[in-house]
Amino acid sequence: MPSRYSYSQLLDANVLARKGGDSFYWQCTTRTVQESKLFPVNPYIAMSYLNAWYRWPELLRKIDAAMPAEEIGDRARNVGSYVNTITMGLIPNFYLGGRQMLLDMGMLRPTDALDDIMFVLDFGRRVNMAYHRSHAHVFPSDSNQRAQVHTERQTQTFEADALGVKPGDRLHTAFGHFMATVSAYGFLSHCECRLSFNNHGPYRTSAGEMIVRDLIDLAECDYPWMDGVAGALEHNNLTVPMIMKDTHFHIMDDWGSFEATPSYDASNIVAVGLYTSDYLSDGYIPVHMDSASELADYLDHLRDQMSEATTEMWKGMAGWTREQMIDSGLLVYYGVLKDLAHFAGVYEQDDWFMVDERAQRFKPLFNDEYGGALIAEIVGYVSLTSQQLSEYHMAKFSDARGEMWTPIPYSVLVDDEWTSTVGPIRPGTSSLPAKTAPYTTTRGKLSMDECNKLAREFRPAGWDLRHYDDDTWVKNHPSQADLPAKR
Amino acid sequence: MTEPFADKWPRESQFPIVERYHSAIRALVAERSAASGKAWEEVVHDPAFEFTREDFEKVEADLLATGYRFEVSAIVSIKEDPDKYKPLAATVESGEVHHDDQGRQIVGTGDNVFSTDDVTGVARFISTVERVMEMLVEGVPEQTIAVIDDSGGTLTAPILADFAGVICLGGTVRAHLGILSREHHVPCLMAAQIDGLKEGDEILVEYSKRAADAYADAQSAAEQRARILKVS
Repeated sequence: MPSRYSYSQLLDANVLARKGGDSFYWQCTTRTVQESKLFPVNPYIAMSYLNAWYRWPELLRKIDAAMPAEEIGDRARNVGSYVNTITMGLIPNFYLGGRQMLLDMGMLRPTDALDDIMFVLDFGRRVNMAYHRSHAHVFPSDSNQRAQVHTERQTQTFEADALGVKPGDRLHTAFGHFMATVSAYGFLSHCECRLSFNNHGPYRTSAGEMIVRDLIDLAECDYPWMDGVAGALEHNNLTVPMIMKDTHFHIMDDWGSFEATPSYDASNIVAVGLYTSDYLSDGYIPVHMDSASELADYLDHLRDQMSEATTEMWKGMAGWTREQMIDSGLLVYYGVLKDLAHFAGVYEQDDWFMVDERAQRFKPLFNDEYGGALIAEIVGYVSLTSQQLSEYHMAKFSDARGEMWTPIPYSVLVDDEWTSTVGPIRPGTSSLPAKTAPYTTTRGKLSMDECNKLAREFRPAGWDLRHYDDDTWVKNHPSQADLPAKR
Repeated sequence: MTEPFADKWPRESQFPIVERYHSAIRALVAERSAASGKAWEEVVHDPAFEFTREDFEKVEADLLATGYRFEVSAIVSIKEDPDKYKPLAATVESGEVHHDDQGRQIVGTGDNVFSTDDVTGVARFISTVERVMEMLVEGVPEQTIAVIDDSGGTLTAPILADFAGVICLGGTVRAHLGILSREHHVPCLMAAQIDGLKEGDEILVEYSKRAADAYADAQSAAEQRARILKVS
């Protein structure tokens, strides 16, 4: 029976899948092997792919019905949140990672779950295009490793508000210490993954290139293990615009990480800022930026709070069972899309912090060795039998026969058999303690219902004019350049 | 009737354990789908046809029954299931001894994360949660150069800033531990190879070497490696 999709829709889907696979290959093979003596990292990564495969289609449909993907991308572009370059870029890869594992095990065929795959990829394409609208690419790798997410309007504000620093002054020193502390804190709170950090830019300023650094989920938030230990932290998300002299950021990649020429050197930082924001804020809210000394004091204060929280959280995690470590890591990975639900006002803790029974059953396979070998084969060697193509085939970067994600066969447009969906999400479980603390937002500490209610009611002041926040429009309306933001 | 799914371009998996597991599961899928007497599309998402936890437990049990034991990556895994994992490897001690031109024994080399001053300190091996907890409670001893067999950023997260230096036995300069050590300005060698280095040795680490170039070819990278010298 022919499927309901047009030829161009299927072409779009397969192109995005291949683009995602190519991006993921480059990232995985040029970055580093992720490992930890504390967390069984690769087993939890593989398990997260399975949970995404079984749960994301229904959850993304729920989100899209409440707020279309492209609207969320528009909103997210103007705040720091978990809807950002790295998390949204992972949509095709984590989801298709689950599919590829099952294909290789013979538990799926490439024609299975067609409606799910088409929907998830289309959602991913829309949200990424909207988030990256200002530079008009889907991923930073399409833009030669650059991610100019903001328009002139926001960049100008960040540049104008940034506070100047020099090596050895109080703010420069406090900033350096804060960034070190928040980095360690973020790796730990995210169970050894770097999803707490996202950078975008660079943007050219009069003093040098500026990058915008988002630090996400720092306070009591969706992660149950941050209840209590992160209770003293006031802001869940922080955004740090940072201007550097004599430095060119030649790579801002699909995981929101950067490389610079010459190498990043903190002594070249000439100005910094600090803001908070989230799905409930009308853009970025300055944090203690009235003077350099006030900001330095606050960063020192934050550093002390985060050092204490790091110690307490580490002590808790060090006593976890292996299953708790697996669940926490897999839920961080699988949960990369959770802020989409926050924006749309349909966030349910159990949607994002439970392991579906269909994923749970695979756990007995995931000893450390199999987890590590499987992830290495899927994303590094691209060596699973299901990933191999003909002897004529040469992959984009490796020239090898393997492609990370198996395309959907075009025969589903004609008379091939296919199946629609994995079905609704099923009950899930977690070995972790339940979340009990409120959620930290820019409107205070709220219950889940309050978060959803406020999100559904919220309309940013400039929302109706968002399509004027566009450098092309501004270029041709120089005398009204700031009109949209003022209305 | 469902037939085993054909593949014109098959290959064995790179890792024997993946090949073993996936072959076993594929065989079971073919057997069960054939026994169902139904078309693939009728059974693939049917809960009645689904594999269970017990099916996957059997795949693992069958491999363990051959005497196979898994490589370990996280401490908690071997702690909870010591019978399933191979014992952790001991520290390398080849017996070969090399000296620099000042007669100091070279006990290792590594990729320097960033260039700073050389550091002299005491090598202390850190590879367990208990060791980190001990240092967290009692404080990190002065001039500790931590020898860590883990390139992650979580094991030593609460005490990393207190080290005089780090020698990491894995990862690359881009690994999480490399990133964190740079942020904390704690001198660090990544991908270190040691031979003859022992707990408590007083060592000098050449952290003044140029930072390793992640894009360097093998020969240039080897020439750029910083040395670890035993000084007592």
